[in-house]
Amino acid sequence: MATCAVCKKNIQLRPENAFAPFCSARCRQVDLGKWLNEEYRIPSGPEEEEDPQVDLNGTNEERD
Amino acid sequence: MTTEVEATPSTAPATPGTYGSESITVLEGLEAVRKRPGMYIGDVHDGSGLHHLVWEVVDNAVDEHLGGYCNKMDVIIHYDSSITVEDNGRGIPVGKHEEHSKKLGKDVSAAELVMTVLHAGGKFDHSSYKVSAGLHGVGVSAVNAVSEILKLEIKREGHVYAQEYRRGAPVTKLEVIGDSDKTGTKITFKPDTEIFSNTEISYGILASRLRELSYLNAGFVITLTDERDGGRTEVFEYKGGIREFVELLNKEKEPEHEKVIHIVAKQIAENGSEVQIEVALQWNATFSEQVFCYTNNIHNKDGGTHLTGFRGALTRVFNAYGTSANLFKEVKNGLTGEDIREGLTAVISAMVPDPSFDSQTKSKLVSSEVKSITESVVVEKLGQYFEENPQIARKIVEKAILAAKAREAARKAREVVRKGALDYNSLSGKLADCQSRDPQQAELYIVEGDSAGGSAKQGRDRKFQAILPLRGKILNVERARLDKMLGSAEIGTLIAALGAGIGTPEQGGSFDIEKLRYHQIVLMTDADVDGSHIRTLLLTFFYRQMPQIIERGYLYIAQPPLYRVKRGKTNLYLKDQAALDRFFLEHGVEGVAVRATGKGPTLTGEPLLRLAERMRLFRRALSKIDRRADAKIVAAVLRSAALGKAELRERKKVEAAIPPVRAMLERKYPDIFPLSIDVGWDPEHGAAIIKITPRPGSNARETIIDWNLVESAEYEELYSIDQDVRSIGPAPYFLRDTKKDKDGAEAEETQAEDADALWDAIDLRGRKGTSLQRYKGLGEMNPDQLWETTLDPNARVMLQVRLDDAVQTDQIFSVLMGDHVEPRRAFIETNALNVRNLDI
Repeated sequence: MATCAVCKKNIQLRPENAFAPFCSARCRQVDLGKWLNEEYRIPSGPEEEEDPQVDLNGTNEERD
Repeated sequence: MTTEVEATPSTAPATPGTYGSESITVLEGLEAVRKRPGMYIGDVHDGSGLHHLVWEVVDNAVDEHLGGYCNKMDVIIHYDSSITVEDNGRGIPVGKHEEHSKKLGKDVSAAELVMTVLHAGGKFDHSSYKVSAGLHGVGVSAVNAVSEILKLEIKREGHVYAQEYRRGAPVTKLEVIGDSDKTGTKITFKPDTEIFSNTEISYGILASRLRELSYLNAGFVITLTDERDGGRTEVFEYKGGIREFVELLNKEKEPEHEKVIHIVAKQIAENGSEVQIEVALQWNATFSEQVFCYTNNIHNKDGGTHLTGFRGALTRVFNAYGTSANLFKEVKNGLTGEDIREGLTAVISAMVPDPSFDSQTKSKLVSSEVKSITESVVVEKLGQYFEENPQIARKIVEKAILAAKAREAARKAREVVRKGALDYNSLSGKLADCQSRDPQQAELYIVEGDSAGGSAKQGRDRKFQAILPLRGKILNVERARLDKMLGSAEIGTLIAALGAGIGTPEQGGSFDIEKLRYHQIVLMTDADVDGSHIRTLLLTFFYRQMPQIIERGYLYIAQPPLYRVKRGKTNLYLKDQAALDRFFLEHGVEGVAVRATGKGPTLTGEPLLRLAERMRLFRRALSKIDRRADAKIVAAVLRSAALGKAELRERKKVEAAIPPVRAMLERKYPDIFPLSIDVGWDPEHGAAIIKITPRPGSNARETIIDWNLVESAEYEELYSIDQDVRSIGPAPYFLRDTKKDKDGAEAEETQAEDADALWDAIDLRGRKGTSLQRYKGLGEMNPDQLWETTLDPNARVMLQVRLDDAVQTDQIFSVLMGDHVEPRRAFIETNALNVRNLDI
């Protein structure tokens, strides 16, 4: 069951619920306020982590 | 009071003229009503005056109820549009009215006085009505004046009295017509057709006011009967009073709390009068306020001092509760009265002796003492209710906080849109618009970073491609943490560029998909963690605030290449690691023939490519199984002994497998020796447990080959690939470069000791002569390269964002944004490495 991204009420998704992923126009409005107030932040570490390189040399001695 | 008027049997009804000249003075008063009915009872043409008559009579009964003497009223509309109102109150006094009788020089009963003298109702027995509806003030005598016939029947003091009037004048005396132990007043009147152009009483108007009255007077049972065509009867009886009224008003509106809050209290005003305040209130899920105010049962449509006091109390109670429960962290500017009253349904009923109103229509109460009384009563009682019901209090206060946030959001959105609109001209600094104004043709590329944006601006086709460079904002939160977000300025620019506004119309917003300037909106972000975060933010923003764009299929994700390989004259862009691996393999098997030891077939071309691809997958599965066991030991076990699920369950086969495993390990990894191999038995699965312990301190880990391991998906894949490789024949394998074949003679072969060596040889051939460039970001591509790979409609690959993708992204986003630190941390840790694949 999906929940409203703002008030956490259970909701239906589109197209049944035109306000999805919210329960109402109200909650969508509150969400907009959060975007405009820069409240949505993705926390991350100071360094970007690289993808592990596929080990082309396979199971050789240099693995570890 | 005693009966002083002697009952005399009535003969034929007398005409008004014959009753006696003494009553002339009285009739002069009523004559005024007949001459100017509009002044006394309202419009005689539009029905308002007509219904007013009923209210006057009804109000007398309600006053009896307010005094606590009456619990029942029947109203009947007769077939000829005459009306009967009967109550079980005390009955109008029937005794001689001394003062008036003296004045007239004849005996006049109090009842007759009430029926024939304007404003007489209030003149007697003043103390018996502490509060009075007094709706219209003119009294029942005015009704009498404009009635063709009025019949009065009073049950009081053991008798039944009756009197009849014609156009205000008594045609009989007040006579005893029988006996009864009950009390009450019954008035039947027929509105005069000489006065009213229309005497048709509306059932609906009566029903709605009587219903209202019964809500306002809990326990007052009102029956309305219509004896005209069809006929019907309704009983209005609301034991819950205004609580039930609120329930009715909220019936279709999904209440926020189950029970209506009910407040009732009396206070003595400074002027000594006792004021009673009763309030019923309940919040519902809607955004509108619905409050009905009454003073002594009169509806005050413009509110007044009771409403002001009530509102002030709400603000005080909410702010006190929110502050003490620490709920106001997110609303800097506090709650306004409007935030609090959103979704509020309430009925306020004040009982005030001698109330003052702003006008004759009594639409607004102005008695000043009522404000402070209402406020203090509601503050005390609602405050107490909130303390006793903290869950409900919290829910209601949180709803108001949500309203405050929405209000703030609307203000902010207007500001951003206005700024965006102002900026639109200077937007050219950011947005490189296209020439086309046809949304169906126009494309908007939202490009991460200014440098990539610059390349894209140069590389695009300006006829139909617009470029909007966009950077994520980075905030240094703590030493070890950077937060990424979309800055509000960037969002404003985006909204302005899209041209479709923002915010739902239901909340005063302006978003209109029909105004969208581009029907292809392409997100182009770097293939790194940063790019992935910006993409997640943008996708979530579109899904939440402009879902129609996704629904209509206007949103795309560009697929810029991750690699560029050059080999001789070929120049190739490859979108990801898998494509690169495939490229190397294709080139690695080109012009190669492979055979196994013995009589097996020689493999070339497509079958060899498939085998090489399987070998590549073997490597991949090995790197996965390395989490469970040492990958090189597992590989040796498979390669030397082909130990699978079936084999592990047979002791003999397991024992036979040990020597070749040891031999291969010793040959390939001598440095992990001395090494021990112990075989145990797992009775639960009927399978061997092989424990391989390498030399301590060597670069290999202790590895246990048991049922759990061989049953794992990784091991099964490894086993299956190993079987495929075995099918071509035993190692060593031999490679021949067919390009070097000369004059029908085959070129010399090179030997690959085992499958690993064979794959390495193929991979090495594939890489030979190629130069590889990995694009760390879009900015590393020059304008031409960007056009060739990502912008050119004939060459580019774009993923169309579907609603499902967006739903998923939104869920990921919610976890990233979640209030709960632990799941978020866990999520980021487990997904940090493949964050690239999060969204699409």
